[in-house]
Amino acid sequence: MSDTTKPPPALKLQDLRFRYRSGDAAWTIDIPSFTIAAGEEVLPAGEQVLLTGGSGRGKSTLLFLIAGLMTPTSGRVLVAGQDIHAIDGAKRDQFRGRSIGMIFQTFNLLHGFTAAENVMAALMLGGTPQKQHRAEAIKLLESLELPHPDRRVEELSVGQQQRVAVARALACNPALVLADEPTASLDPENAARAIELIQTACRKRNAALLCVSHDPAMAERFDRRESLDAISARAAATAA
Amino acid sequence: MSDWTIIFRSMTARLFSTVTTIITVAVAVALLLVLLTMRGAAEKSFQRGSGDMHLLVSADDSSLVSILNGVFYANPPRRPIPWAKYQELSRSFPFAYAVPTQQGDSYAGLPVMATSREFFTAFKPNPGEPWQLADGEFFDAPYEVVVGSAAAAASGLKVGDTLFLTHGIQQSRQLGSADAMAPHQHTEFTYTVVGVLEPTGGSHDRALFTDLTSSWVIHAHDRRKREDPAVIATTEADLIDADRLITGIYLRLITRPGSDAPANLPQVFDRLRRDPTITVAQPAQEIDSLFKIVDPINRLFVAIAVVVVISSGIAIMLALYNSMEQRRRQIATLRVMGASRGRIFGLVLTESAILGIAGAAAGVLFSLIGAVVAAGVLKTQLGLVIEPGADPRTLVVVVIGTVALAAVAGLIPSVMAYQTSVAKNLRPLG
Repeated sequence: MSDTTKPPPALKLQDLRFRYRSGDAAWTIDIPSFTIAAGEEVLPAGEQVLLTGGSGRGKSTLLFLIAGLMTPTSGRVLVAGQDIHAIDGAKRDQFRGRSIGMIFQTFNLLHGFTAAENVMAALMLGGTPQKQHRAEAIKLLESLELPHPDRRVEELSVGQQQRVAVARALACNPALVLADEPTASLDPENAARAIELIQTACRKRNAALLCVSHDPAMAERFDRRESLDAISARAAATAA
Repeated sequence: MSDWTIIFRSMTARLFSTVTTIITVAVAVALLLVLLTMRGAAEKSFQRGSGDMHLLVSADDSSLVSILNGVFYANPPRRPIPWAKYQELSRSFPFAYAVPTQQGDSYAGLPVMATSREFFTAFKPNPGEPWQLADGEFFDAPYEVVVGSAAAAASGLKVGDTLFLTHGIQQSRQLGSADAMAPHQHTEFTYTVVGVLEPTGGSHDRALFTDLTSSWVIHAHDRRKREDPAVIATTEADLIDADRLITGIYLRLITRPGSDAPANLPQVFDRLRRDPTITVAQPAQEIDSLFKIVDPINRLFVAIAVVVVISSGIAIMLALYNSMEQRRRQIATLRVMGASRGRIFGLVLTESAILGIAGAAAGVLFSLIGAVVAAGVLKTQLGLVIEPGADPRTLVVVVIGTVALAAVAGLIPSVMAYQTSVAKNLRPLG
């Protein structure tokens, strides 16, 4: 057993509430408490959580709140112990770049850039010194078995593009990776391969994973599964 | 990886739009620079043409026409001045020089000026810079010709060549050509090139120079042939007073050493002006008047060019504005990866400024080429010899102005980029 101090949770939500318009009767997001354990230096790896919910239930909104890209109506979002909404402006952006990786359904790679440059951009924006960019990007892409780091991403296959997206999300060794419907546009076989890739890569880099999806086939791949509807119902019951 | 890589990739991803925008800016900048450069160069060329003379005397109708004809070879002066009048005028004041000139003949469309040897020894084509010979010597005898640098380049004449002159400005040919006996050519008199001049940057570069006596003789021959078609030859001995005509006098007053402004210039000018048989002009003043006449047109052209440059700024704004729709997703992705709103604003603004810098640089290059072409056209069409080199200060002002304009043009797209919503642009599909 390691004697080192246990790190703060990768994610901790406290009384998080959000609604788009102040006049709306119901909260789009209402989460009294939610935690994802961080990975420790040796083991265990970061916790991996699947968050499910019907379409339009606010899953993506929750991810943007966690990433500090939308502002909650009330409550706190702590990423690696830091209240992300307590940080202002450019510092919050850099904190996000360094501490949170995001993977999207359509990858959202930077077109016109090579695979390596996509990863290098993440390293640059996360504050990694410039001279380390290329070496770290190549190392990471090699670990994900991507053979052509200097090819433009448009020239890569879908599977290869997904590897670049995963490498980019993990480039700055984030405490938390947020995956937004990462398999929604894939057939079942490729979806299984993709989620396997994401989970394995997160484990190797000790990053916690919060994956939101409405794909029921994903459930069996996660030890911890949460439903946004259930969390909200618990909140309502507590309030009553 | 740096912000420059992101900017460069963004520009190359829309290569066609980037290149066309740069060309639009370049053409506008080149147009403005050519107009500004040519304006300054033309003024310099006019100022150079009159050299170090203080006054020009002619029998033309107005002072300005007198300068345009007598110095810039616009047309041969219409009315002559008798030699006796020249002798009277040249003795009326203690002039530093009083150089007689006569125009009216040409060679291959190039003007010929008959003058005295003082034209080369006393008159300086640029103040403080005497004539320099590229080859040969100044004429020292009748029927010898000295060729200006541009005239030599245009005609191919060199020392030792022989030629006939044409009365008026009709084309003439070198000796031995099939057309050598064409009407109006003074084919009875063969001239020999004895010298070729170095360039002066003024109007005299495109002229040929010969001595007055031979010019009088060939015109006396025309007169005698009209009187008696049987006349075969004419010599200096056949000259009468009516043949001894000139069309202009270059005058320089005596000045104190180191000064170019004679104290008695107003007095001399006033005295000469009272003579109703001549027109007296101060070249510097007439050139100023000429530029006052053409300046509003010049300003209009420059104003139009400035409007074209501003339009090119709008082209930059449109190119970036139109690209924003395609780039919103990429901007949102950069924000997710840690780019601040300010950084995104800076990236787009820098891209806009780079379009301005690239356009201005290409415009400077185009303008240099354009100025060389325009200088060639002015030389062949108007005989105006100008140096197409751009004034460095003008270049710097235009380039800085263009970059500033490009940055201003980039403000709206930059604000759009700044305001790009990550949540709206990165929501999952379906």
